Amino acid sequence: MRNVFCCVILLVTVCFLGGCGFKDIDKRFFVVATGIDKTDNEQKPYRITLQLALPSPKIEPGASKAQLETIDASSIAEGVRMLKSHVDKELDFGHCKIFLVGEELARSDYSGMLQWMRRRRDIQSVADIAVAKPDAQALLGVKPVSERYPGNTLFLSFGADGTDSPYTYVQPLSEFSKRAFEKGLDPLLPIIIPDSKESYIINRTALLNKNKIIMVLSPEETQLFAQLAESYPKSSVRGTYEDTQVVAAVSDIRSKYRMTTQGAKTVIAFKVKMSVVLEDAPENLYKQEWASIEKKLSEDYSRQAEELLRKIQQAGVDPFGFGLRYRANHHSNNPNEAYEKWLPIYPGADFKVNAKVNIEGTGLIQ
Amino acid sequence: MNERIRLMFAEAVDMKLEELSNGEMTIQVAYIAPMCEEKMIADFIFVPFAKREQPYREQLRTIVEYKVADDVAKWRDLLLRGNALIEADGIVYSLYAARIICNESPQTQVESAIQGPQLALSEDLTKSLNLIRSMYQSADLSVEEHTIGSVSKTPIMVVFDQRRVDPTILDNVRTKITTIHVEMVNAAGELDKLLIGKRKHLFPTVLITERPDRISKAIAKGKVVILMKSSMFAIILPATFFDFMHAVEDHYEAFWMTRFLIFLRYTSILLTITLPALYISIVSYNPELFRVQLAFSIAGSRSAVPYPSFIEVFIMLFMIETLIEASIRLPRYIGSTATTVGGLILGQAAQQAGLVSSIMIIVTSVVAIANFVIPVSSLSFAVRFLKYPLIIIAIFFGISGVAVGVFVYITYLCNLRSFGKPYFRIFGRLQPTEGDIGQVKLK
Repeated sequence: MRNVFCCVILLVTVCFLGGCGFKDIDKRFFVVATGIDKTDNEQKPYRITLQLALPSPKIEPGASKAQLETIDASSIAEGVRMLKSHVDKELDFGHCKIFLVGEELARSDYSGMLQWMRRRRDIQSVADIAVAKPDAQALLGVKPVSERYPGNTLFLSFGADGTDSPYTYVQPLSEFSKRAFEKGLDPLLPIIIPDSKESYIINRTALLNKNKIIMVLSPEETQLFAQLAESYPKSSVRGTYEDTQVVAAVSDIRSKYRMTTQGAKTVIAFKVKMSVVLEDAPENLYKQEWASIEKKLSEDYSRQAEELLRKIQQAGVDPFGFGLRYRANHHSNNPNEAYEKWLPIYPGADFKVNAKVNIEGTGLIQ
Repeated sequence: MNERIRLMFAEAVDMKLEELSNGEMTIQVAYIAPMCEEKMIADFIFVPFAKREQPYREQLRTIVEYKVADDVAKWRDLLLRGNALIEADGIVYSLYAARIICNESPQTQVESAIQGPQLALSEDLTKSLNLIRSMYQSADLSVEEHTIGSVSKTPIMVVFDQRRVDPTILDNVRTKITTIHVEMVNAAGELDKLLIGKRKHLFPTVLITERPDRISKAIAKGKVVILMKSSMFAIILPATFFDFMHAVEDHYEAFWMTRFLIFLRYTSILLTITLPALYISIVSYNPELFRVQLAFSIAGSRSAVPYPSFIEVFIMLFMIETLIEASIRLPRYIGSTATTVGGLILGQAAQQAGLVSSIMIIVTSVVAIANFVIPVSSLSFAVRFLKYPLIIIAIFFGISGVAVGVFVYITYLCNLRSFGKPYFRIFGRLQPTEGDIGQVKLK
């Protein structure tokens, strides 16, 4: 009898160990996008904008409703805590897949923001990060007409479910924080620009060092970067042949590089192999020999790629991870020794790109 | 003789005690009229005795149906089992003339198979044995008779293949049967509980079936089958968990489809046990597990519901359980009405009234339907209970609690033994001679 009583008491007390985690789904406010900007105020340097979804049982195009909450605070964590008192339900970042960093903040120092994101339990590592131009608050005010539920357009732009654009570079939080802390590998973020009141353009990429934005890649350079660094198919190559423009869709691309030391100089040699289908080409191409076009396209591509690589090198950032490769290949007793050796090598390194374009077809059947 | 029998029995009008005389000799006949085939008694006793074509004394001696019953103590049992007692020249003979009322070679109802034997066991032992013997035509088939119940005196038969049976299990069954002390046994389920000996069990550890093909297959695998009079269900032991998830049709139909069906059954058993608990833990603890559309639509449909998620779950489960219970007990004609009223109207109305969310309706119906996929009804019954402890855990501990709960169930299953055999053993056949590490000691 005594034992049974003890067991019951034990069971009842164990039941309270769960604590206050119980909170129904309709008592939570889902944050679908978070914007973090820099203000002019010294005391409260962060402006936090949360896009809160208003759930509705019906989901149809154009029916998305969201609420924006903005606050200025001295730190992000404090701002979010303060924002809780502005709303009636518990804030939940579990579905927040987009974090927008205002351009100004990204150009000054992003490390505080990254710290906060990595520490918070309910922020998922798969959340995407992007730079908002001119600022995150304005961007979150954009209301795309086709949106089915709040935040959907941005989710789709970055996720693999929606568009696959070679101009949109996707940077999830896990990747971003890896790049922000790894020596010899620098982060890069996509830049989102509001097009009008109803849509966005995401086709530029910002290259950052460990603190802030260093340079911005144009749309063409963004695509080239994706091809070189990630062998990104579903993209295109462009060149000129006998004064006409040739554009080809890439169906398969393999890009790899080797680092060799020739005398005092380090040479980074890229080998890019791709199969393409012509989309924009001279009229009577079908019966001609393709080898000359392939050669011309390869030369054009090599030149463009070398230009991009030098441009990135001159800016002093390393989004390709050459430094990481160097560290992996060079033994050192001291953890920083290889990296310190690398630092003076990188600015003087020489780039060679050997592209090999293989035309699979003209896209026409004759 | 008749005087003694009169003293043995209570006052009963159906007790027939006759004294006949045909000039040559005088006999006394005693029988219980409703228990006996009157025609047989007339054919074997009254007619030949009256016709005198052959001396009746001679007949009693030569025909094997007449057995000498000297022991007075056995008279009562003989009469109660449908024998007629005849006293002639001071010797008492018994004649088996029992009339057994049973269902005539019934169709399978509980475990039906589309293609496969359609006959089920009969309530008459001889007919059941006929079915089994015709399916298992082997000289090794051994049949033992026992009696259970001090009042009901129910005959039971233990059937097994003497070459293939595991002797330890057989010994175990025999001792269990002889040590059972109980007044009445009426159904196979009752005998099953007595054999297992544990009063509170969560899972069935012996298989109750009505299908002769399942029985013959079990005998061929060396299992022991217990048939019981006046019950059309037989007990197969030992049984493993996987036997319960296995329909006889799995042997009869196309290979890949049946594999898929088995996969479907295991999926549905997992769903029916965990889904209500997962609903609570995901909705109330970890909504980020849903895709974002689903999260918004659940939040939208739940916004009208005034109660927390677990009250919602209890409301719906109470409704569905009462519905299932009602439709089992109801006569068939009303049964379908009850399901229509309950299933369609109540569910829809409950959602419109804002008592439950629309997702909860789906959860409840999945739970109910997935439960019926389990082919053996005793496991299906047992599994119906398993979701409730998980719900309680989910209320307090969320998803991690549910995971721990499922782990506890699996541990419990692994701990179970069916007549000394591991209940949850998937791989490997156990040789009778080799023991199992950690096997429970047999009493």
